[in-house]
Amino acid sequence: MIRFPDRLILKNWRRGSKRSSHVELGRDGGAPPSLRSGVMNRRKFLFTMLASTVVAETVNPVTASAGAVYSRQRYLRPPGAVASDPFLARCIRCGQCAEVCPNESINYFGLGNGLAAMGTPYIIPREQACVLCMKCGEVCPTGALQSISRTRESILEKVRMGRARVDESLCLSFQGNTCGVCARACPLGKVALQVGYLEQPHVQAGCVGCGLCERICIQMPQAIRIIPNYA
Amino acid sequence: MNNAELIVSNKAVSELSKHRPLRRYLNKLRWLSLCLVFAMLIILPLLSVYQTYVASHGYRLLSPSGKHFYDVMQFFTSPFTDDPANSLDAVKGSTWSGNFFGFKISDPLAVLGQIAAAADIYPAFLITALTPILFSVLFGRFYCGWICPATLLYELNTNLAVWLQKLGFRPGHREFARYLKYFVLMVCLVVSALTGTVVVAVIYPPAIIGRELYYALALGGFGAGTVFFMLTLLFDILVARRGFCRYLCPGGALYSLLGRYRLLRIQRQVQQCNDCAKCNAVCEFGLNPMRDDFGQECNNCCACIAICPTDALIFSTRVTDISSQGAGHLGPKYRKLHLANTNNICDEDAKA
Repeated sequence: MIRFPDRLILKNWRRGSKRSSHVELGRDGGAPPSLRSGVMNRRKFLFTMLASTVVAETVNPVTASAGAVYSRQRYLRPPGAVASDPFLARCIRCGQCAEVCPNESINYFGLGNGLAAMGTPYIIPREQACVLCMKCGEVCPTGALQSISRTRESILEKVRMGRARVDESLCLSFQGNTCGVCARACPLGKVALQVGYLEQPHVQAGCVGCGLCERICIQMPQAIRIIPNYA
Repeated sequence: MNNAELIVSNKAVSELSKHRPLRRYLNKLRWLSLCLVFAMLIILPLLSVYQTYVASHGYRLLSPSGKHFYDVMQFFTSPFTDDPANSLDAVKGSTWSGNFFGFKISDPLAVLGQIAAAADIYPAFLITALTPILFSVLFGRFYCGWICPATLLYELNTNLAVWLQKLGFRPGHREFARYLKYFVLMVCLVVSALTGTVVVAVIYPPAIIGRELYYALALGGFGAGTVFFMLTLLFDILVARRGFCRYLCPGGALYSLLGRYRLLRIQRQVQQCNDCAKCNAVCEFGLNPMRDDFGQECNNCCACIAICPTDALIFSTRVTDISSQGAGHLGPKYRKLHLANTNNICDEDAKA
């Protein structure tokens, strides 16, 4: 995806238009319109475009190669999603995963994240987290979301949406007040999120990244976040 | 003698049109089918919203309009199910890919696009497209005429163009090469393979409509696909009648290829045809039924059958069109050609 630095182009554009109006006004005493400066302007403009394209293509290799933008916002794929590249290749954007989602967690990308990711499902845990009902994997026809049975063992084994991380400078419990709301929201219990002294949350290896802790966190901004796992 | 013959044939014609064989109503049946599919695409998102309401056990938290919606949906679904939150999952999806009581059906184009994008065949998904592939091999491009939700809107769009024409606006009637859509299909697959995403999903109108209706009814807002679809509608009005289906649709191209040697096709009975060319006028795909030019493009819409005054068009089980039947036997051209012959025969009859 090519993105032009808008400011540069606008600046050149403005300068060029000013000059031409300057010539038209005839302040130079009837001198012929300086064709040369116009050519230079055009050349500069083209060069800026070319340079910005080259920069955009080299600086951001993700956008240059896959066409999908992963960096603009933090989002999760629904549970059972395969790694990001096979996911984009497999997902046919049929929209059935959100149709069966009982929690309205799943939403779809528009054009904002690039044409390649358009119409693919995502979950923003702070808005509406996943309740691990596993209906989306069941209904997905393409294998972009793998079917996982709704048992504690298989969820712990196969779901890899991400991993929670606690910001101790924001977390109430780490600041000396007892909170523990995230641990109570966690559907997997001690294997995923264990509470210690003053109910301070400690993320364990079992965390699958459903995001219910982030959804429920009473701090604003949230003190616990899911770090997505796209691989 | 000639006049008498003509009168006889005209009588036969009028009797035929009184009789009205059932196949003349197939076009109406097709409209019913299109409307049902479209209604399904509207009802399923509403059901999904209702399911989330039920699952959340929050009737009292709903807004007044939400409560009203809940009541209406409950009224319609309660005869069929006690547990709407789970049992209504039985029917989901759109014509792009759907789930009907555990039987998953997908568009062959989705499978082809996925194969191109992933460079890999996922068997469980391939199986879901077998039924449509089989039906296309047997009936040709019937999906385009009988199921595709975009077809309904495109045909209404054609009617709109006719009304605009009455108001003095001139819709476009350009002709392009028919094979343009196969080129589009090829480009789509190549781009899918290069970018590693299923590009056809973004530009294939039925997929767009299924998705956008869901977005609009359940998620609250149209997406970019609607803009694209509006552009195709404009293309149909301004450039060519049904232009997108005829020249650009990658799905139509795939179905045409699958149905090239279809078993069931419309065929002209040359003995009954009077060369009135009404079939050519109503054919939205710009085919030439009067001279047996259906090819792989015909979408079995049956408009020509419905309008034919002599019921000369029938369904037959042939693998190819009968391409050189010539002028219809009831038409003026045929009569002019065979005038001498018939006169001779009549003379011989008179002698005998």
